[in-house]
Amino acid sequence: MVDELLFFMEVVVGGLLAGTMYSLVALGFVLIFKASATFNFSQGAMVFFSVLAFCGFMQDFNIPFVLAFILAALLMVVVGLCTERFVLRPLMNASEDTVLMATIGLGYVLEGLAQAAWGVEVRRLDLGIGDFPVPWIADNLKLFISALDIFAGLVAALMIIGLFLLFKYTKIGLGLRAVADDAGAASSIGIPLKHIMLLVWSAAGVVALVAGCMWGARAGVQFALVDLALKALPVLIIGGFSSIPGAIIGGLIIGATEKVLEVYIGPFFGGAIEGWAPYVLAIFFLLYRPEGLFGEKIIRRV
Amino acid sequence: MSNSSANILDIKNIEVRYDDVILALHDVSLKVPKGKVVALLGANGAGKSTTLKAVSTMLASERGKVTNGSIEYDGNSINKQTPSQMVGLGMVQVLEGRRCFGHLTVEENIISGAYSRKLSKGDINQELEKIYTYFIRLKERRKSQAAFTSGGEQQMIAVARAMMAKPKMLLLDEPTMGLAPQLVAEIFNIVKELNTKEGVSILLAEQNTNVALKNSDYGYIIETGRVMLDGTAQSLLNDDKVKELYLGISKKGRKNFRDVLKEESLTKRSN
Repeated sequence: MVDELLFFMEVVVGGLLAGTMYSLVALGFVLIFKASATFNFSQGAMVFFSVLAFCGFMQDFNIPFVLAFILAALLMVVVGLCTERFVLRPLMNASEDTVLMATIGLGYVLEGLAQAAWGVEVRRLDLGIGDFPVPWIADNLKLFISALDIFAGLVAALMIIGLFLLFKYTKIGLGLRAVADDAGAASSIGIPLKHIMLLVWSAAGVVALVAGCMWGARAGVQFALVDLALKALPVLIIGGFSSIPGAIIGGLIIGATEKVLEVYIGPFFGGAIEGWAPYVLAIFFLLYRPEGLFGEKIIRRV
Repeated sequence: MSNSSANILDIKNIEVRYDDVILALHDVSLKVPKGKVVALLGANGAGKSTTLKAVSTMLASERGKVTNGSIEYDGNSINKQTPSQMVGLGMVQVLEGRRCFGHLTVEENIISGAYSRKLSKGDINQELEKIYTYFIRLKERRKSQAAFTSGGEQQMIAVARAMMAKPKMLLLDEPTMGLAPQLVAEIFNIVKELNTKEGVSILLAEQNTNVALKNSDYGYIIETGRVMLDGTAQSLLNDDKVKELYLGISKKGRKNFRDVLKEESLTKRSN
């Protein structure tokens, strides 16, 4: 009995921690959705592009870990800069649908560039943290929890706190929230939209890099990372597209439920249900709570 | 004019098109003398908003363009400016429909107006306190989410927010739209105060002809993209045509718009 309970705990905790990795990916989507009201389909490509560049810097140019990370982050700022200049600015007055299509195109460009520059083979990324149970926790709590999961959880927590402080207490954060509410009114009082877009796309790029590092360390740095980002979609539907806490909690919910369902209900379906179970959950949310758990309700006075 | 610097804004014969096709303004000329309040009056679709947006350069974001004529602000042409550059030069537009940032608090809304200025936290608080002396009501509600404040309060937020940019000139687009008469008076009192105490020049677009003229120095009446009539506010208030068409008062008592038009076409025909 105790063993079973421990096993259940292990599944849930493992799922929650794995869920933070979904949260990290979802976070990138939320940032851009807040400023552009667009689902950024290139987010997955940004994850792939950034972490492949990071690996490339380290493995092909022998640049030390920290420096390579900083370079990759700077590269994502450059990507943000180019996106603002060559994609968003020309489409400034275009409809949201047009921008949405443009992000799909941008995704293909990034995928192509990444593979052209660094090749197509799967790379190994070693963060110095193994993807195996932490002995101390295994001995004392009898739970087998991966060190990488714990690390990802910590990193996610730090990023959330950082972003929260940035948005709540800085001037540019205020600007971003203003643009998210009403871009026209924001520009009428002199908030320069291009600075805000640049900030948001750069921040989303850096978040993509961090998410890519976590996933890359677990599954190898490979093209499949692009599709993995789609897991963020049910996370966002559950958490709400415009909410940073929503992205986190949505990720945790998806992570935990998919593992629990896989272990306890999976066998009845022949296993591997974690691939599609989150989407079923998402459908229920779309039916009964379309703004998600934490999405900003559209406030309208009548 | 001999002394052009007496005007903070000088619009000369502008023509505005949307999407390169739709002609919204045919020929509008108007002047705003420094430190004065000028009312731009007219019905829906007359071109009031378009004129203001041409001045604040917000037209571009609506695919509009000034295709003829010129606009001079503070002695310089505003040809190549962006809205945020105009704000930097001291020209701020308060858009039609208030357009507050609904999810931000009242105070955050107001502070966001200072975005273009490089101010320290202390300076911002000092400015904020000054703004609150004009908008006492907002100080009480500083922590509420803007979306949940009343229409009048939202209008005040929008004006207060614009004032935080320290404008030399304000463009107000229908500040009293949909407000109860008492609030209309309150808003205009604040506008007048800002004008006299802070020396802000004001160009305001209004449908509320009577109240607008009573609180202005000068007025322009535009219809279908053309200036039909202009003069001092007092002279317009006493003008028979204005009385009939815009104030609904005539010697024969109240009249509706259709009667006036019918009468005019009859007199035209008999001529």
